[in-house]
Amino acid sequence: MTTLLPDNRLKTDRDLKGLILKHYLGAYRAKGVLARRPVAWVTSGAPVEPLLALGILPLYPENYGALVGSRKAAVPYCEEAERAGYSLDLCSYARTNIGSMLARRGELRGRPLPPPDLLVTAKNICGVVVKWWEVTARHFGCPLFVFDTPFAADGLHPEQTAYVRDQLEELVVFASRASGHRLPPRARFEADLRKVLELTREATALWNEIQDLRQSRPTPASALDMFTNLFPIVTLRGTEACVEYYRRVRDELAERVRQGVAAVPGERYRLVWDNIAIWYNFDLVRYLHARGAAFVGETYTDAWGVYDFDTRDVSDPLRTLAEQYSLILLNVGLGIRKERLFRMVERQGADGVVFHSCRSCKTYSLGQYELARAVRGELGLPVLVIEADMADSRAFAEGPTRTRVDAFLELLEARS
Amino acid sequence: MPDLTAARAALGRLLAAGSDPGAYLSRADRPGRRPAVGYVCSYVPEEILLAAGLHPVRLGARPGPVGPADSSLQSFACSFSRACLDGLLSGLGGDLAGVVFAYTCDSLRAAAEIWKTRRPAGSFYHFLNLPARLDGPGSARYTASAFRRLAGDLASVDGARPVSAAGLAAAARLTAAVRGGLARLAEVRSARPDLLPGSAFLAAARGATVVDREEGAADLIAAATVLEAAAAGSEPARTGRRRILVSGGFLETDEPVHLIEEAGADVVADDLCLGARWLSLPDTAAGDAREDCPAGDPGSGPCPSPLAADPFDRLAQAYLARVPCPAKHPPGPRFDFVRREAEARSVDGVVFLLQKFCDPHAFDYPDLAALLAASGRPSLVMEIEQGGLTHGQARTRLEAFVERLRAGRSAAGTGCGAGTAGTAAGTRTGPTGRGAGKGAEGR
Repeated sequence: MTTLLPDNRLKTDRDLKGLILKHYLGAYRAKGVLARRPVAWVTSGAPVEPLLALGILPLYPENYGALVGSRKAAVPYCEEAERAGYSLDLCSYARTNIGSMLARRGELRGRPLPPPDLLVTAKNICGVVVKWWEVTARHFGCPLFVFDTPFAADGLHPEQTAYVRDQLEELVVFASRASGHRLPPRARFEADLRKVLELTREATALWNEIQDLRQSRPTPASALDMFTNLFPIVTLRGTEACVEYYRRVRDELAERVRQGVAAVPGERYRLVWDNIAIWYNFDLVRYLHARGAAFVGETYTDAWGVYDFDTRDVSDPLRTLAEQYSLILLNVGLGIRKERLFRMVERQGADGVVFHSCRSCKTYSLGQYELARAVRGELGLPVLVIEADMADSRAFAEGPTRTRVDAFLELLEARS
Repeated sequence: MPDLTAARAALGRLLAAGSDPGAYLSRADRPGRRPAVGYVCSYVPEEILLAAGLHPVRLGARPGPVGPADSSLQSFACSFSRACLDGLLSGLGGDLAGVVFAYTCDSLRAAAEIWKTRRPAGSFYHFLNLPARLDGPGSARYTASAFRRLAGDLASVDGARPVSAAGLAAAARLTAAVRGGLARLAEVRSARPDLLPGSAFLAAARGATVVDREEGAADLIAAATVLEAAAAGSEPARTGRRRILVSGGFLETDEPVHLIEEAGADVVADDLCLGARWLSLPDTAAGDAREDCPAGDPGSGPCPSPLAADPFDRLAQAYLARVPCPAKHPPGPRFDFVRREAEARSVDGVVFLLQKFCDPHAFDYPDLAALLAASGRPSLVMEIEQGGLTHGQARTRLEAFVERLRAGRSAAGTGCGAGTAGTAAGTRTGPTGRGAGKGAEGR
């Protein structure tokens, strides 16, 4: 008999907590006198590999926003930002971080994030992070690099790739200067970069293996497992720790598949989730779990499976980076997003799709109505649209949401 | 009282066209009857559309509730993008040979993607994939390539002609004449708002992006000539009114500016998409005479022109050099512009008209307000949705703000009420002590 943690959570979850703690404590230490290491605040879509190759420690304020949101603690920080004039309608990750920054307090044992030495933002996830990082740059007086990735609606034109690649060259010089390092010789930098790329590729391959294991019936992992296990691929991508951790998760899931252990006991319906998690309300997912609905895929977690650099044939690693970072989920058009969603529904054997219409995240959410229509019309599957926010719980209405969820479950039941 | 009849007639024509582009486009006597192509962002170069023999029409929103766009875009998409999409889905799209969207922000990108799938069969669609960054070493080159791609794609519009260097040069002269006429009117607005109120100026600017450009340039120049003469030959009729700069995005109606005027202030300057930011575009026609300029880098060899010889490179340079939209990086030049403009126009206070759900403006607002406050200029923030304000509340807040300006006292610590959707900032009066006012990212 397999011993299961509450929510049937994975045993590796215990390691994850340690990993998160180590990451943030490491960042504080990096700001100390003894173990000085430059800290960059970066966005989730920032090309982190060149920074790691230069010895810079990346910190992810978006992840911090998710962490604060999952502790149901975002609202006071949001309000702090709103008091300073930042609109309630702005991204709640941004308001959480700006509020924490202005108040000089936070959720890491009462402290805010360690201050940055440099800032790197990438437009591939949204325009919001460019503006948010500008605010941060003015606050700290920090050097800021904006990595501009033009919209890749249907793919990339050669001039787009060249434009983005040139910025990566610029980023290397910028990051070296801003962190107080000397620019390393080109050959050494490229060798270090290839090592980091290989670690990213390995972690990504494991992450994709994990997603594939969820095709099993019953699925060995549902949305709660995947949302929490996202942390390493987001924040530790390009490190040994990330690869080692996912190796353990992959092994645990493979074992679950062998033993037929279900993430959701009595799995009846298989669902796909679209958009960021509602971090403060995992109870909603548990409610679905309790009624036999398991999540077998999330476009959000799947989005991190794109960094599968082919390191055996990277004659120009910066070009490879330019292409991969331009083609991430939030920087492509609705046509490609629809293809990826349909592929996931088919591959994972889903019976329906839950769209989290997240008011904070316009790039993710706007266009969902079209996708929902396509899932209903072209795949003939039921959809559920939940209006909420990823961190600001004030945007979530429990009663009406439960009513919609129940109606959705009835639809699934009627089809089964 | 000077005779302003001719100016009123010219401005009236512009106002009518700007208020109802659909009606203007369907007029049987529309000059040229060239195929009309809509566009949604002031970074779309009208020069290229004109050079292709097309009639560019700046799309905006019609006042009133959102209709068909509601089923495609959530309510938290910026109201301008929802309104643009709504206008197209409601029928305006059928009056146009096509639409050019541009990368501006997340909401407009989504509206473009939805229109791409919903547009009528055969309707031209182009997404001008502009950079968000204006200061990168490759920004100008990349922008020029996006412009060339637009020019190439326009060849598929029925009735379009190939874009040539000569065509671009002629178009540059025409757009320079339009913007030149508007710039003269902007001077009148600032010096003599009793002759040309801010609301009338903005209506003229909106109309100038709809009418046939030859016709528009003629009307603008005629109106400016009459008003300049009137200003020179008369004294201001009103005194004691406060001088306001309005800051915001694309204003679809003059209503917010009217309300400011009714509250007892003159809008003498702006930081608007369809105002000063657009008018700040450098005149690309200026280098035309330099036929001895070699191709290649601007200013190289014997060519003293700061402008590139290649017309697309030259256009790119101009669009990168204008006062930037807050959706572009870096923001410093816009912050500097607003500060300088407020000073140069002797502005007493600033009214921020924040489009609901417009992220770029909303992120800039607190630090920009603090920058202005540091130079003794209080500001008021108001949220607008699809061009309009909630009348009763807006009027009261504006009257209180103008009263405060009139009293000439600092609003320090008093606040001016919360924004309509819960933004806590009302009147901003001082620096926040956190680097506000630098206006640059230190890159």
